[in-house]
Amino acid sequence: MNRRDFMKKSAIMTAGAMLLPKWFPGVVRGAGEPNIVVASGLPGPAVNAAVEAMGGMARFVKSGQKVVIKPNMSFPNPPEWGSTTHPDVVRELVSLCSKAGAASVLVLDHPLRSAELCLERSGLKAACGSLPNTRVEGLTKSEMFREIQVPKGKSLKSTMVMKGVLDADVLIAAPVAKSHSASGVSFALKGMMGLVYDRRPFHMDFDLNTAIVDLCTVLVPKLTVVDASRILSDGGPSGPGKVIPLNKIVASVDMVAADAMALELGTWYGRKFKPSQVKHIKEAHERGLGNMEIAGQAVKEVSA
Amino acid sequence: MSFQKRIQIPLFLFFLLLLWLASFPLPTWVDVGWFLKLDPLVSLGTMAVARSFIPGLAWGLAVLGIGLVLGRVFCGYICPMGTTVDLADRVLRDKRAPKRNSFEEMDRFRSLKYLILAGLAVSALLGLGWHFFFSPLSIITRFYALVLYPVFTLFTSVLVTVFGPLLSTLGFDTLSFVQVRVHYFSANLFMAAMVAGILLLGMVQPRFWCRNLCPAGAILGLCSRRPLFRRSVSEACTGCGRCLRACPTSAISSDYVTTAHSECIMCLKCQEVCPEKAVSFNPGKTGSFPSREIDVSRRKFIAAGVTGAALSAVSMTNLHHLHGGLDPRALRSSTLIRPPGALPEPMFQDRCIRCGECVKGCLTNTLQLVWLEAGISGLWTPKIAARLAGCEQNCNLCGHVCPTGAIRPLSPDEKQYAKIGTARIVASRCIAWEQNKRCLICDEICPYNAISSQFVPGHTVTVPVVDENKCNGCGYCENKCPVEGESAVVVEPIGELRLASGSYKEKAEELGLVFHARDGVEDHFILNEPGAEGSAGKSEEKQSSGGTALPPGFIVD
Repeated sequence: MNRRDFMKKSAIMTAGAMLLPKWFPGVVRGAGEPNIVVASGLPGPAVNAAVEAMGGMARFVKSGQKVVIKPNMSFPNPPEWGSTTHPDVVRELVSLCSKAGAASVLVLDHPLRSAELCLERSGLKAACGSLPNTRVEGLTKSEMFREIQVPKGKSLKSTMVMKGVLDADVLIAAPVAKSHSASGVSFALKGMMGLVYDRRPFHMDFDLNTAIVDLCTVLVPKLTVVDASRILSDGGPSGPGKVIPLNKIVASVDMVAADAMALELGTWYGRKFKPSQVKHIKEAHERGLGNMEIAGQAVKEVSA
Repeated sequence: MSFQKRIQIPLFLFFLLLLWLASFPLPTWVDVGWFLKLDPLVSLGTMAVARSFIPGLAWGLAVLGIGLVLGRVFCGYICPMGTTVDLADRVLRDKRAPKRNSFEEMDRFRSLKYLILAGLAVSALLGLGWHFFFSPLSIITRFYALVLYPVFTLFTSVLVTVFGPLLSTLGFDTLSFVQVRVHYFSANLFMAAMVAGILLLGMVQPRFWCRNLCPAGAILGLCSRRPLFRRSVSEACTGCGRCLRACPTSAISSDYVTTAHSECIMCLKCQEVCPEKAVSFNPGKTGSFPSREIDVSRRKFIAAGVTGAALSAVSMTNLHHLHGGLDPRALRSSTLIRPPGALPEPMFQDRCIRCGECVKGCLTNTLQLVWLEAGISGLWTPKIAARLAGCEQNCNLCGHVCPTGAIRPLSPDEKQYAKIGTARIVASRCIAWEQNKRCLICDEICPYNAISSQFVPGHTVTVPVVDENKCNGCGYCENKCPVEGESAVVVEPIGELRLASGSYKEKAEELGLVFHARDGVEDHFILNEPGAEGSAGKSEEKQSSGGTALPPGFIVD
């Protein structure tokens, strides 16, 4: 399967998967797999419980597949700041992928600051670097990226994406839930910007929110796990800001639903927001990338 | 391999290793700037100009002490410039022994080094240090650090790019994610030309620099007129002249017996080539070791001193000179951001020997040498080129590699408080302020959270605003600003902290600067008057009239 096929098929399958409940509500619900899982507990065990409730990692990762996990490790800040994904979340995901038989797991991000420091201070290198067949890399050089087209892009028509992601079989989004001064919040959708080489046009040339949605038409994770163990409720994306512990992990095959759920769980700048108040989530919903209406979706709560 | 080479080459490799190690994170087991501290010119010159004893530079005095016992062994064995000159001479010079090589025949340029030293000494006593320009360790450190190291990184990077994919198709993916960062340095062409010139002089005489020009060699020469261990020739000498032709510094007199000890670098070549084993290096008694001295005429010596004095006087009356007061401060360049922990400017310029260690080691490559931006006396001093890269919050390397303390070695915590400048938004260039674009990259990147996104009347999107009391001057905003060319947010030296002693943290707190958000301190994006979000009513971000303003990035449902 080449890249284009992979993109196409995953887009079709995702779209299908999203439409499926509308057409055959009984079928999907009957399979016992909820649309959204909210797991409570310590980060590691909660991830395990959430993925288990989603049907287990074997549902997403087949034996011999190459997996990319996209956490947020863009800042050289410790986990307590809430600006990067908790190391336990990523470590648990890596080990679940390995247990499901993944041939290799790459933990990738394009850090804004010194890659070496970001990997070290976020704790992700120490948490995952020594796991078998796993690499944690902060990629900053253009040689590591390849140009792809964005056929469904309204503004973004092409961009350079990490080769590791394009060559992978499975992409798993593992963002931390945090505020973002330009896009309101930054979860799975906004987090995909961490896989591209040149983010400048997103701000300079396009409407940021529309460009984020454009990007998410081609970068579609098979599974989204939002780290809401603690949220950076303001001061994001880099912090320091107010960190609120929620002890929650949100999982879904639908990144829009996962983002919407995480948004509703949290308090942002001291108040509550609806998904429709975050422009990129709203636009992703309207353009059919996923479902931001939590009401009416099967939400399963588990605790670890 | 000769005795000299067996010591010289490992030490040279050690020098390169230390230079290589001068990068983040710094090793704790070794002082990477050690070789620079050995240079007696750096040691005496810096102390003279700084008018104080610098303990870290006492190594240079120790080298002078060694000179009293073992002569110029520093030149022959330790100095990486000497080794580099030797390597170049091997390539450049005819292998056959020279026809003329006696001390007397090769006397023409010898006194130059003493004249240079005299000029530098007078200049230093008057308070202006030019020793950095001639210090062999400074020159050679700059050369390897700023000329060859970047070329090496470029070469490695190309190798990785070429062979990485090849290896991964063969099943080895170790290289597939190796990213070699190529370093870029200003002034590297000049540094290369300077060293190339020094090495090419080897075509005139071997070790041309060491015997004729090097003022550090001159100081050592003064200390090595009668070293304890020195060359002596026994009765067995047949006068074959092999020793004379083998001597790399032409230190042997035409009688083969008399030696200019102050010129001898103790390489022992004369001993090695002597077929009669007549040459030895022994602790000497006066009288049995005839010696030659270099004649420097008093007239020339005085002329050199006067030249040094004149040059320093002219430099000091240059418009941009910063010494002895802050008068021309108004003419200070507003882009001259010094590294964190740099001493107050005149002291900083006195101490900085322009070796380039900090520039080479800088984690983000933001430190660059300036030409005349800091005045003539600030030639090649380091500055933060924020448009190129920011100063990393968690890195304190520059102060820890600085051999002279021109940049203070700060703890990571203290470093956070060593404010190097303040960011200023250039609204006319900013695409949020000027074009209503939703760009808040500077806010996003700011490690100190000093830039906030605010609703300002007349603007339909939030615009970045700097809180000068939170801004550390690190320059990440200037670096990441997406505007083409000059940044729309620039760091200027306003508010920089330059302390000769004492705690930056205490000073910063005294001044009310906040570089850490403490518990409970919320990000302070500022909601101005409700409904005051701007006049352009057509924006879909228009706030509900009379409703509360939304935090940045959110929209009305």
